[in-house]
Amino acid sequence: MSSKEKAAWCGYALILVFLFLLSSTNLILKEKEQEIYPVSVIIDDINDEYYANFRTGMDMAAENYHVDVNFITLYADNDQEQQLELLRREVRDGARAVVLAPVNESSAVMALEELPSGCPIVLLGSSTGNSSVACSISPDMQALGKQLAGQIVLKENPQVPVCLLTEGLAYSGNRELYDGLSMVLEEHGFLIRLVQKADEDTYRRVIEETVYPESSRILLVAMDPEALHDAADIISGSSVYREHVEALYGVGSTVAILNRLDEGVIDGLITYNQFDEGYLGIERAVEAIQGTAPGRREEMEAYYIEAEDLQEGTYEKLLYPMQ
Amino acid sequence: MKKGICLKAGAAALVLAVFGGALFYLDREEQETPKTSMRIGVLLYRGDDTFIGTLRGAIEEEAKEYEMETGIKVTLDIMDAKGSQMTQNSQVERLISLGCDALCVNMVDRSAASGVIDKAMAEDIPIVFFNREPVEEDMNRWDKLYYVGVDPKESAVLQGQILVDAYKENPKILDENGDGTVSYVLLEGESSHQDSLIRTEWSIQTLKDGGVPIERITGGIANWERSQASALMEQWLNEYPGEIELVIANNDDMALGAIDAMGRAGVTAGTIQFVGIDGTPAGLEAIRNGTLLGTVESDRRAYAEAIFETARQLVMGEEVTREKYSWSPQQIVKN
Repeated sequence: MSSKEKAAWCGYALILVFLFLLSSTNLILKEKEQEIYPVSVIIDDINDEYYANFRTGMDMAAENYHVDVNFITLYADNDQEQQLELLRREVRDGARAVVLAPVNESSAVMALEELPSGCPIVLLGSSTGNSSVACSISPDMQALGKQLAGQIVLKENPQVPVCLLTEGLAYSGNRELYDGLSMVLEEHGFLIRLVQKADEDTYRRVIEETVYPESSRILLVAMDPEALHDAADIISGSSVYREHVEALYGVGSTVAILNRLDEGVIDGLITYNQFDEGYLGIERAVEAIQGTAPGRREEMEAYYIEAEDLQEGTYEKLLYPMQ
Repeated sequence: MKKGICLKAGAAALVLAVFGGALFYLDREEQETPKTSMRIGVLLYRGDDTFIGTLRGAIEEEAKEYEMETGIKVTLDIMDAKGSQMTQNSQVERLISLGCDALCVNMVDRSAASGVIDKAMAEDIPIVFFNREPVEEDMNRWDKLYYVGVDPKESAVLQGQILVDAYKENPKILDENGDGTVSYVLLEGESSHQDSLIRTEWSIQTLKDGGVPIERITGGIANWERSQASALMEQWLNEYPGEIELVIANNDDMALGAIDAMGRAGVTAGTIQFVGIDGTPAGLEAIRNGTLLGTVESDRRAYAEAIFETARQLVMGEEVTREKYSWSPQQIVKN
């Protein structure tokens, strides 16, 4: 073998080694390191019972956008102070963005003013007038109330008094929802009464009053998923109550609530796509971190659903999303 | 020449000593810094399993209580494998890459634990297995592997005891047709789960030992699920009309599924007795309603506390106060 041939073989060997290094190591062509975004999601409840679909959407977005989600529940139900403390802690601990389902939206927005800038907040509410709020996501609660009331007006007798059950008007969105409901129902001659939960027996007492001391009939509208869940449980537990409750309508959906709708305990409910809400929450948080958030308000569409709609493909996907 | 070599060696030794000393100091500094937060991954075989769902809630409560008491932030990453071991394996990888300090794993397939252990061992992340016990060889591979569960033999013996007591009190409760034998059907959990066989075996054995005359009509595997148990029971009610007097279920969900089928078939309440294990909220409600004769309730708070505390002690570098295998207490609940 001549020296030229030897040099050529050596050259080939070197090229092979170079190509090997190029293809199998990170030494020459650096791979772009995937950035992981730490995002905290703080909800307004002590567990995720009413956030199952939201969480499914959130998890999917977290996987797609390389987000490390810290999902945080409260120690005590509807504790505004504690929620704000958790929010401050997460910002302090380095969350790049926070998705917040506020207990009380107006107080939360005020508290956001005091937070150090640089941590965008995605609010599951309607406020946009704060520089920290990168985006707000929610249905239009007043329009949602009007839509539900419209269905009640179509189906029910205005002679039967309506009782609006809620965990509290101070909680996010409930005031707007009440305004929408009461406006339409009163316009059509319905007599309405607002009942805010004071203790564990508040809703039961309202229903019990229709049986004793005097027999009467009542139409129930539960303004939040918690109230709807509780009212459905109380009614289904007694055949006597069923005779005195003309109908039960409500807001929100969980598997347990949908089962009650299917059983005929709940006559109709209004809900929105919580899977999309969870997905959008994370998506908008990432966009806010990257500085590319397109809009400050995402309005979720509301859907009125009755038992026969449960088997329909569109609603099935909306109510029972799969990851 | 020799002097030069000695100088070079001395300089090298000095550099090594300084470098080593710095490393030792930094390491000690790191060890002495008290931990202000911890991240624990909780992996569930199926989140829609009623018992696992309630246990998960109790673990979350434990973590919150600890966080409130100590101010140490606890991040729980809870993941649902939806019955797929492949999904669970990738969830383990994800949690390890996210920097979890410990894993609490409810295996989908208890025989597949070695893969999970390999990944955790490579990163020195301790594991607390719960509810589904890995095989002994896997558990013995590392001293940072723990198991928390309920003793299946104890559950079964207590379940059998509910029936023995009921029979002794009034044989007619179980022997509805009065022919001198209690005709029963069995609803079993997954065949791959260590508890299924033991629960079945010892529940029946306790009945025999207690002097209850029994006759097995049939049995089937309903995989712990209410819907599957309901379908099986519906079939049996058609095949053996008026013959079934007792349904022994390996868990409450399956007992409730059988009760659902009985309701659909229009069988009069009280003609068939049902007994379960777990003490789920729905099971306890059924006992209050009188549709379920009894159940064996595992103390969920103690169960969750054992899981969380073991993981926490491992993360904090404290001495683990529980044995490698820890059994949660159980009690009989009957109407």
